[in-house]
Amino acid sequence: MAVSTFMGLQTALRGLIAQQEALDITGHNIANANTVGYSRQEVKTSASRALQITTGSTAGNGKAELGTGVDVDGVSRARDRFLDLQYRAQAMRLGGLAARVKGLEAIESALAEPSETGISQELQTFWKDWEGLANSPEDSASRQAVVEAGKALGVSLAELDQQLTYAAEVANGEYASITGAGGEVEAKAKEIALLNGAIRSSVTEGAQPNDLLDRRDLLLDELSSLAQVSVTELADGTVEVGFGDAAEPLVTGTEVNWPQALKEPKGKLGALLELTAPGGTIESFRAELDAFAENLANAVNAIHVKGGGPAFFTYVAGNGAASLQVAVNAKEVQTASNGSVGGNDIAREIGGLRGGAVDRAYASFVTRVGTEMNEARNGETNSQALLDTVAERRESTFGVSLDEEMTSLQRFQRGYEASARAMTALDEALDVLINRTGRVGL
Amino acid sequence: MTMRITEGMTNRVVLRDLGKTKASLTQLQREISSGKRITRPADDPFGTGRTLQLSGELEGFKQYQANVQDGIGWVTATETALSRITDTVQRARELLVQGGNDSNGQVAREGIAAELEALTEAVKQEADVTYDGRYIFSGTATETRPYELGATDAYAGDEGQIMRAIGAGVAVPVNVSIQTLLGNGPAAADNKLLDVLRDIATDLRGGTAANAEALRGTDLERLSANIDELTRVRAVVGATTNRLTTAGTRLEQLQEASLNQLSQVSEVDMAEALVNYSSQQAAYETALRAGSKLIQPSLMDFLR
Repeated sequence: MAVSTFMGLQTALRGLIAQQEALDITGHNIANANTVGYSRQEVKTSASRALQITTGSTAGNGKAELGTGVDVDGVSRARDRFLDLQYRAQAMRLGGLAARVKGLEAIESALAEPSETGISQELQTFWKDWEGLANSPEDSASRQAVVEAGKALGVSLAELDQQLTYAAEVANGEYASITGAGGEVEAKAKEIALLNGAIRSSVTEGAQPNDLLDRRDLLLDELSSLAQVSVTELADGTVEVGFGDAAEPLVTGTEVNWPQALKEPKGKLGALLELTAPGGTIESFRAELDAFAENLANAVNAIHVKGGGPAFFTYVAGNGAASLQVAVNAKEVQTASNGSVGGNDIAREIGGLRGGAVDRAYASFVTRVGTEMNEARNGETNSQALLDTVAERRESTFGVSLDEEMTSLQRFQRGYEASARAMTALDEALDVLINRTGRVGL
Repeated sequence: MTMRITEGMTNRVVLRDLGKTKASLTQLQREISSGKRITRPADDPFGTGRTLQLSGELEGFKQYQANVQDGIGWVTATETALSRITDTVQRARELLVQGGNDSNGQVAREGIAAELEALTEAVKQEADVTYDGRYIFSGTATETRPYELGATDAYAGDEGQIMRAIGAGVAVPVNVSIQTLLGNGPAAADNKLLDVLRDIATDLRGGTAANAEALRGTDLERLSANIDELTRVRAVVGATTNRLTTAGTRLEQLQEASLNQLSQVSEVDMAEALVNYSSQQAAYETALRAGSKLIQPSLMDFLR
């Protein structure tokens, strides 16, 4: 079979087109070098289908294949799904720990320990004032001091309790704003559903919509810091997204199913729920604070009533920290069990509570807050380091390296020039054939 | 495949390392400027708990120290009053010996009796001494005068004990029951000081042989017994003073020890912190310099 005279031109043209497309994609990569979530793209080429020609030779049965140049098969993106899974798992952990650290930080700073202004200092002042009263039980100013110190203690406990409640409210509010109508979850889910639709039509047409896929992957990364995300890829190019422990998938095709109830969604939402849930961290802190306030009141009262006098503190059981009040005025403060003006056994005994179970209970409360905070903060640091590692591996796979792109640019530019040169060479050959052949002797 | 390194990765690594160094610089700066190793519970949860307990302990020692000082003041006032009473009673004994001597006439005895009555009043007055506005010999009825001046010799205070806490669970009584020394006068006939002094005056004024006999015999014996009792009580008071002074010294040592511990747990070792700070700062500067060199070049600088 004869070969067309102009076939070489066609081959050179294919080369030109392929190199140009590769140049275009290199430009696209460079332009998106700093785009978050962008994966570098690559033009896939293959040699186009060869022509079978008949040769005059006996070798090879007189047949040979004549190459016809290059075909562009498509544009692929560099992506490692396994790394994406690892990244999302770490992002979920980090999201949870970061939210926990933020919540606990508010509590830690409300505690203001160790300092000259915290509750432990007020507790010391309270004991000190009782001991001062024991030294001069006849002095009405000393009595007043005890009452005031008791009141200050009550106010500080109520304030701390209030701060704890407030921290829970803030966490609740953040949870509501993320999960509520128009919140982060819904907005991202809607965009994923839209992208699902667009990707499906591209895939149906046989194309690979790299940039849409990148955007969808980025949204899934972001969602995974909020809660555990499970992604099922379907044949039509869409993904089904499971969110936390929600009963139904968050996104199916182009449908969004939100809001749904979450119990233990993990990630940031999980941490926010854990902080505020009944029996959760904040509630257990409040319970411990209540128990401390009630133990304090009971210990003081038990001694204060020894001479038949009134109780020193009152409180509402189960809500001790918020309701601790001094129940007596300066005159009613008891110093002696025999009711004498100069006796001081009651005052002495109350002052002697210093360093006892009450003080230890408060110190252990502060220690517990510190430990929880410390654990969360260390966890956050570790998780951040792990996430950085995975992010680096991912970046190594799909990040744009400018050196690499510059090299590609050079390569494809040279390829383009060479293809053009091949076309010129053919053109010159054809010039000889068309314009000069058969003009012998002219 | 070897790991591809992109510009983004280089940037991120440089930024992350700078951030880490900067964070530890900030932490060190906070420690140095506050002088505290622990500025929030999470810095060292157990250290925080320990700090709270140690500072409570320290406050306690300071308070016990104050109690000791107050107790010493009280006991010193007691001691002074008792020593004056002793002096007065010694004088009364001299007068008694003088009055018992028959060479004195009744007139002289009347005079001695008058002086003795004045001394009796002086004893009661000493018993009414106050410390910091409180009657120290009234038991816990510190706002009640223990003895009214004049003819009534009944004790008006109570037998309550006044204690000062000088340690956890350790309290020392600082008051003395004056009633066991002075008693309630002749009406109670309790052989205590006031009873004896009144009896002596009566015997001096009586003028009979029996009176004179009593002056030389039982009265002298009874007065001597009371002087012995006074001496015994003063020894107890002296022992209390000693005990309080010793406790004060011990508390000072304890206070120092607990202050030491507290500063070890909660305070920054400045020298160490400053050395750390400058080495971190050097690390930070190096990281900055390396970063600026690392980020700058690219293939673009060499391709034409």
